[in-house]
Amino acid sequence: MRVRLNGITKTFGSLKALDRVSLLIEEGKFFTLLGPSGCGKTTLLRVIAGFASPDSGEIFFGDQRINHIPPYKRETGMVFQNYALFPHLDVFGNVAYGLRARRIPKEEIRSRVHQVLKKVQLESLSRRFPGQLSGGQQQRVALARALVIHPRVLLMDEPLSNLDAKLRVAMRQEIRKIQRDLGITTVYVTHDQEEAMAVSDSIAIFNHGAIEQVGTPSEIYFRPQNRFVAEFTGTSNLMEVKVTAYDEEASLLTGDLKGNRVFLRCTQKPAGETLTILLRPEWIKIARDEEEPSTNLFHGQVVSSTFVGFMVKYQVKAFGDQVLAIEVQDPQEHEIKKEGDLIYFRFHANRPVVIAS
Amino acid sequence: MMRRYFTLWNVILLSVFAVLFFLVIYPMFSIFYASFQDPETGQASLESYQKIFRLPYYLRCLRNSLWVSGLSTLLSLMIGIPFGFFTSRYHLPGKSLIKTLATLPLILPTFIGAEAWILLLGRNGWLSNLLKQVGITLPSIYGWQGIVLVFTLQFFPFVFLMVSASINSIDRSLEESAGNLGAHPWRVFRTVTLPIVTPSVVAGALVVFYMSIENFGVPQLIGEDYRVLAVQAYNEFISEMGGNPSMAGALSTVLVLITFLVTFVQKYWVERKSYSMSSLRPPEIKRLKPFPTFCVWLFCAAIVFIALSPFLVILLSSITKNQGPVMYFGQFSLKNLTQAFRIAPRPIFNSFFLSTVATLIGIVFGLAVSYLVVRRRGPVTYLLDLLMILPLVVAGTVLGIALAATYNKGRIVLTGTWMILVLAYFIRKVPFSIKTTSSILQQIDASVEEASINLGVPPVRSFLKVVVPAMLPGIAAGAIMMWVTTLAELSSTIILYYGPWTTMTVQIFQYVGSGDFGPASAYGTILILSVLIPLFFLHRFLGRDVTATL
Repeated sequence: MRVRLNGITKTFGSLKALDRVSLLIEEGKFFTLLGPSGCGKTTLLRVIAGFASPDSGEIFFGDQRINHIPPYKRETGMVFQNYALFPHLDVFGNVAYGLRARRIPKEEIRSRVHQVLKKVQLESLSRRFPGQLSGGQQQRVALARALVIHPRVLLMDEPLSNLDAKLRVAMRQEIRKIQRDLGITTVYVTHDQEEAMAVSDSIAIFNHGAIEQVGTPSEIYFRPQNRFVAEFTGTSNLMEVKVTAYDEEASLLTGDLKGNRVFLRCTQKPAGETLTILLRPEWIKIARDEEEPSTNLFHGQVVSSTFVGFMVKYQVKAFGDQVLAIEVQDPQEHEIKKEGDLIYFRFHANRPVVIAS
Repeated sequence: MMRRYFTLWNVILLSVFAVLFFLVIYPMFSIFYASFQDPETGQASLESYQKIFRLPYYLRCLRNSLWVSGLSTLLSLMIGIPFGFFTSRYHLPGKSLIKTLATLPLILPTFIGAEAWILLLGRNGWLSNLLKQVGITLPSIYGWQGIVLVFTLQFFPFVFLMVSASINSIDRSLEESAGNLGAHPWRVFRTVTLPIVTPSVVAGALVVFYMSIENFGVPQLIGEDYRVLAVQAYNEFISEMGGNPSMAGALSTVLVLITFLVTFVQKYWVERKSYSMSSLRPPEIKRLKPFPTFCVWLFCAAIVFIALSPFLVILLSSITKNQGPVMYFGQFSLKNLTQAFRIAPRPIFNSFFLSTVATLIGIVFGLAVSYLVVRRRGPVTYLLDLLMILPLVVAGTVLGIALAATYNKGRIVLTGTWMILVLAYFIRKVPFSIKTTSSILQQIDASVEEASINLGVPPVRSFLKVVVPAMLPGIAAGAIMMWVTTLAELSSTIILYYGPWTTMTVQIFQYVGSGDFGPASAYGTILILSVLIPLFFLHRFLGRDVTATL
């Protein structure tokens, strides 16, 4: 089912929880609302489920406008952050609940419940009560309970936030696999950017009740449109560059970075005179010394050096008093620098992203 | 659809307010109003209040009330605090039994305790006769001494419970870190443990004071000429020479002002002062050397024994041969019990019937109020939460007087029907039901309801299908507490009952008054067992501590 939101606004007192949010979620897609806590993403999910009614704006499932439809008739399957399992019903009873409400024949209920429990690998636990299950198992019950009614849209509100780190990674892969198998339109809320990238077809980044950017995980990471998106989706080095020249044929921009000449690939001439550029820590490479001939070769002083096994994380003071994060994979290739050491680094002219400031 | 849903709850909200208005606010207002009226001319007058504060006869009632309540509170603290410390900090043989038994006095009817002490230490008491033979004459049990004795022994568990709950909530690391910072154990106790426990001690003291000052049965039975406010208000209202509604109203108003003050301090000062901690590691339970252990054990066991002995006396008396007021201990007879069951079972039926009806109404009402207060937070439901203190503030005697005076004339006449008893019981005891249901509702996340709605079940049905079943243990606990305490209710019953609707409590009260301890004990035994058996099941099957509700 395609979900379309049109200019959704919702205020709580003086707080604007949602500010003219418009979104199009294509049929069968895994769509994630990502943002810091209090940004309005959960409110939007509750608007879709019908638990919060927007002050203005429209919600469509397919071509049907559903603003006036009460939550219990919306046919959405919601997985709550705390699972919200019915404590007095066993696993079977929990999963069958929605089917019984729909007055589906007993035989069919039994087979559908067993089918979905098999899918989430809980068949053997159908007579257990929620209190007797681990966090991960409760999570699966909540998912099964939402899926079994064949909802038009699956809604998930930070479903993994109560699990430990390892289980979280395993569960998110499982959720993604089940979603693909069933081809069910899914709206997923999280504040964990890695989780969002791992599972989503599309991500909408939220801040202060408004959407900052919508795109695929790689678009979001490699081409963030603004500072907030850049900083929220990963470690970011942001630098101010003064434009000195632009070569249209080569799409090459020459700029001044605190007195250093820097080359950037740019498909069109930027509007302003000063640009903000983004460099992810892993886009920066370590050079052996200044003799290595390269463009965009700079040097700085190591402020801190953290060895975490598969890589070294450096904090490097360069371009005056700016501190850059640099991450070097396979650290044995280079000598690991210590605090206070001089370090040479470079980056390809293709790499930096110009951020609209 | 959402709009209609809200309206349904609004209707419920309105009915809840109406119930409070007609059963508490309006009756209280009318006796308040009467207290400012001259009983003969109907003119506005302050005469009754002037009398209370000028005439020694009335002033003494006020002083007496404050004296017995204050003294009982002090003695309850002296027993309850060490009892709480000992039972939570030391290994004692049979500790869990001691703790369970120590809470029983709270639930057992106080006027039966008074009857038992009269049987033991009264003019012709078994123990006083025994001591007289060896030449010891005890001071009289009648008057304030007896009242304070009964109050202290029945109410000290409030202090004990609050103190031990508070001690157990102190994380071990708190005292350990004080020690680690260089404080001696005594200093740790004085500077860390004691300040944390203090709000609970104060809370316990206030409850004891409140329970004492609003009590009617004990001073009436054992006080004789020692009059307290509750007793005097009753006398003024019931007086054979035609009651004085103005005086009864004024005395009630004074009593309500005191109980209101106590409740207010309890709710807004103590609760704010209390420290909430999530205790990860409860304090260490120490093992003392054998002799100190014995001393501590003896203290606790003796207290429990003395507090419960009256009830054993009643059980024993019910199967003892008697002739009028003279009990022949050692000679057994089932005459009184068979008489209660066979010849005069009506009071038993009445008590059970009235309590059951009041409890059923209380369950529904408690559910509605809990839902409104917990789930539909807003200024109106906050007001409701505040108003729900009212039934707690009004002493039983006062409520009885207020209801009887309000509904004996005019459009709605209820005085002289069984319904007025049910309504009085319901409004007086419904806080038990509200307290248990709302505390369990708070533990059920609102998302459980939303999950049900999301799965296709409309809101009201979702509440009934998902939330109510999850609340059942709490509802059952509240209902049982409401039922047993209603069964033991005397102070408003004594004003509101009439002939055919005599309850067990009234029957016991009258038999004790006329010195017929045999039949009084028979009904007393039935009452005690009717209270204990449901509580036993509550404890056994719901695994629920009775004390959580108090």
